[in-house]
Amino acid sequence: MMCILSVYSTQLSSDLTLRIDLDSAVPAYRQIVDGLRILLVSGKLAAGSDLPSVRRLAVDLGVHFNTVAEAYRMLNDEGWLDLRHGRGATVIKRDAPSAAPEHVEEFRARLRALIAEALSKGVSTTKLKTELLKLIDEVTT
Amino acid sequence: MNAAIGIVVLPLLMVAIVFYFLPLLARPGIYFGATVDPAFPRSPEGRRLLDSFRLQVIVSGLLACGLAVLLLPLNLVGAELVPMALLIAAVSFVYWKKFHQVHSHYGERLPEVRQADLSAQPAKESFSPWLVLPPFLALAAVGVFLQLHWDQLPQHYPIHFDINGEPNRWADRTALSVFSPLLVGGATNLLLLGLAWLIATTSRKTVMRYVTVRGLQVMLYPLTFTLVTVSLLPFWRSPMWIVPLVMLVSIAGLIYWSYGRISSPHSSDAVPEPRSDNYWKAGMFYYNPDDPAIFVAKRVGIGYTINFASKWAWVVLIGLLLTPLVPLLLVRMK
Repeated sequence: MMCILSVYSTQLSSDLTLRIDLDSAVPAYRQIVDGLRILLVSGKLAAGSDLPSVRRLAVDLGVHFNTVAEAYRMLNDEGWLDLRHGRGATVIKRDAPSAAPEHVEEFRARLRALIAEALSKGVSTTKLKTELLKLIDEVTT
Repeated sequence: MNAAIGIVVLPLLMVAIVFYFLPLLARPGIYFGATVDPAFPRSPEGRRLLDSFRLQVIVSGLLACGLAVLLLPLNLVGAELVPMALLIAAVSFVYWKKFHQVHSHYGERLPEVRQADLSAQPAKESFSPWLVLPPFLALAAVGVFLQLHWDQLPQHYPIHFDINGEPNRWADRTALSVFSPLLVGGATNLLLLGLAWLIATTSRKTVMRYVTVRGLQVMLYPLTFTLVTVSLLPFWRSPMWIVPLVMLVSIAGLIYWSYGRISSPHSSDAVPEPRSDNYWKAGMFYYNPDDPAIFVAKRVGIGYTINFASKWAWVVLIGLLLTPLVPLLLVRMK
């Protein structure tokens, strides 16, 4: 299934919904991290916002506690979340670090692979450019 | 004898009627507990399956009633229990066969997409004091009334009546016998509220959760009415039909209201339940070891079932089954 992850959020920033697809080849914890990161980068989850507890989110998504705990730990390591024992997580103010050259190279490699996949499936370069710009807009505003 | 036949046959007919309508008490897209195209139940094949199921329910019901009448001269309890157990086993088996048939030949597989509400404070189910407190206050008020009129209570008074309305069990005027119906009422109400709270805090936010939690709170009223009526027997012997009637009307009203909410096109689950049929054994029992939820909204019927793969769900189930035994044990120990 092509659908790797979709994060749905309505126009109101207070009504945020995270979606994961258990049929996807991407592990659930990875989808949770990716989905939350999109909301964090876009500012829809602002500094000071409380996230649901590990237990609450695990029940809502119907996944094991460890899956959610692992996702929260990864975002904690990235500096997005402050984890409080037994009380869930809070979004903290985070200054974007300057990208290390090896990270830039890693993203370039991933993007190259994605672009090649899209072109091989018949997506035109014009369409690809438009979609990319639209997604950058969506994530950053 | 006629009244005795009524006593053994009526519960059997009620079970048969519930199963007769059960396939229709489901959300659109669920048929005999299996996921199908929402239009399938109205298709010729869908109707044929329903007709065949209903015919088997009617035949099983009639056979059970016949068996009950045959067993009646031998043993009343046996005539009540044996046909009931056989009827439930038979219609459950028929239901399972239909689930298997629908799932194998007409079942649909929906994408296993899950979603969660990330708002800081997702809305919780409400426990309004205005709804919850009156039954407790009514029990307390009757307790005070009985205490104030203690001297007017007869030394012996009837507490149980046979099918002809004649008393067949009597109680002495002791604190335990006078106040125990009120205590049982209070304990039952607390048990229902505890169950509602558990469901509200450990399950996903669905329309079913709203109607179940609200329904359990409303059920305090007919239960309290029943136990208040029993407590006031020394002063007021109500007509025999009034308690069953109040109970029946309350349950029917709740089912009607609940089904209206669940099947309304305007209501949708904020956090839906997992969708795969693979988690539903025989279309009835939810078993998902990866899901930490203890309670899961039923696919067919109204209310909640437990996740049989969760050890905590088993703890809750055994606790709920054992709780009614506690008062009996206390009385025995005394």
